Amino acid sequence: MTDTKSPPDRRVVLPVDPTRRTEIDKQRVPMSARPYRLLALVKQDAVVRVQKEPDDTVMTWPHLLSIEFLAAGMMSVFLLLMGLFINAPLEELANSNVTPAVAKAPWYFLGLQELLAYFHPTVAGVLTPLLVLVGAGFIPYIDRGNLTATRPSERKTAVVLFTMFCALGLTLTFVGIFFRGPGYSFVIPYLPFFENSSPGLHFSL
Amino acid sequence: MSFLERMDQSIRRSMAWRTLFRQPYPNDERSRAYAVMNNVFLHIHPVRVRQHAVKFAYTFCLGGLSFFLFLVLTITGVYLMFFYVPSATLAYTNILDIQSQVTFGLLTRNIHRWGAHLMVFFVFLHMMRVFYHGAYKPPREFNWVVGVVLLFTTIMLSFTGYLLPWDQIAYWAITIGTNMGGYAPLINTPVNRLLLGGLEVGQNTLLRFYVLHIMFFPLVAAIFLAVHFWRIRKDGGISGPL
Ligand code: HEM
Repeated sequence: MTDTKSPPDRRVVLPVDPTRRTEIDKQRVPMSARPYRLLALVKQDAVVRVQKEPDDTVMTWPHLLSIEFLAAGMMSVFLLLMGLFINAPLEELANSNVTPAVAKAPWYFLGLQELLAYFHPTVAGVLTPLLVLVGAGFIPYIDRGNLTATRPSERKTAVVLFTMFCALGLTLTFVGIFFRGPGYSFVIPYLPFFENSSPGLHFSL
Repeated sequence: MSFLERMDQSIRRSMAWRTLFRQPYPNDERSRAYAVMNNVFLHIHPVRVRQHAVKFAYTFCLGGLSFFLFLVLTITGVYLMFFYVPSATLAYTNILDIQSQVTFGLLTRNIHRWGAHLMVFFVFLHMMRVFYHGAYKPPREFNWVVGVVLLFTTIMLSFTGYLLPWDQIAYWAITIGTNMGGYAPLINTPVNRLLLGGLEVGQNTLLRFYVLHIMFFPLVAAIFLAVHFWRIRKDGGISGPL
């Protein structure tokens, strides 16, 4: 080594415990502090073959964060507009003596309330939600057929079963929202020529 | 140099700015890495992410937007709490006052209400997207289970909040909802008493639902969200590509 000039960069670089040096630490050492000099370039293949996966990554900023900020911004605008133009419902003061003509659960429970019209309350109100929730939790431990298959075409059974389940839940909820009127009777909304038509929707969010 | 440029420079050179953002605007790869790594809010992300994971059409931002809605609901909810007393005699009047007297009260209540419905909806959609991608397969099985807990928590957050306006919609929706739970074999009576704090929806129910809504379920959600996000990283980032 013949280097006599003191390096222009006067930052003090503390030696890093070699066992704790990570990839980033290695990069951070400034040129002036490196205890070696570049003598020659050796083709990597000639020394060792470092196992390296193809790099398919991008920087989080800006590639991911810009999308997240944009999505959050659009959602904010949407919520602001909703909040400005549509008021949240509020009816009269709660009164335990006056049962309203139409009493419905919140929409995400309407599927269950619809089941209540067909089954015993224990089945509709307790066993079904319990089964759905616990069953959903067990999906990853049941679907063990082909653990690497992720494309829908490779896992038709799972996709078909799940889609059928979702369609069923959606249909029940849909009926509960649109086709149930006073006393939870079956009604057809808006169409006056039906016998059991109802002038509007019996539903509030 | 224009006035704005000078303003910009003097702000960026000020001590306050430099203590706040230790690095200049990140333009090269290393400073971009630091920008994510050194920021308490951003370091939830790794510095680099796999290319397919940032495609909008893979996640549709559904999980992220569910979380964003959770944050919006927290903020609007805290504001509403200043003006709301969980009392059967006061609650309804409080809501009326929030709508007519409180500055931005109506807007805040509206956003809180629509945001809540939207969050339940988005969590459902997020779950469907995860299912159709088979993203619950190894090593992500447990994160799916955490997700199911989050789904339950989200629904319970919405359901407990539903009672708080103490109007006819609220009262009867909760009456129906809790009646359903009252049909559980063997444990029906204790469950109903525990939920309602009495024989029917009343003051005790309102207080219980209030505490569950503003304290218990938000805490549960926060804990499981932390685990959920942690596990995404530990499971090697977003699944895929398909
Ligand atoms: C409060 C509700 C929830 C929030 C805020 C949330 C948030 C997130 C976020 C931000 C991601 C990153 C990817 C993406 O955006 O899709 C994610 C991924 C994931 N979530 Fe959720 N989640 C919630 C509920 C659920 C539910 C209900 C499930 C399933 C039952 C679930 C299962 C998963 C799984 C398995 C992943 C990994 C997906 C992958 O690697 O492609 N999460 N979640």
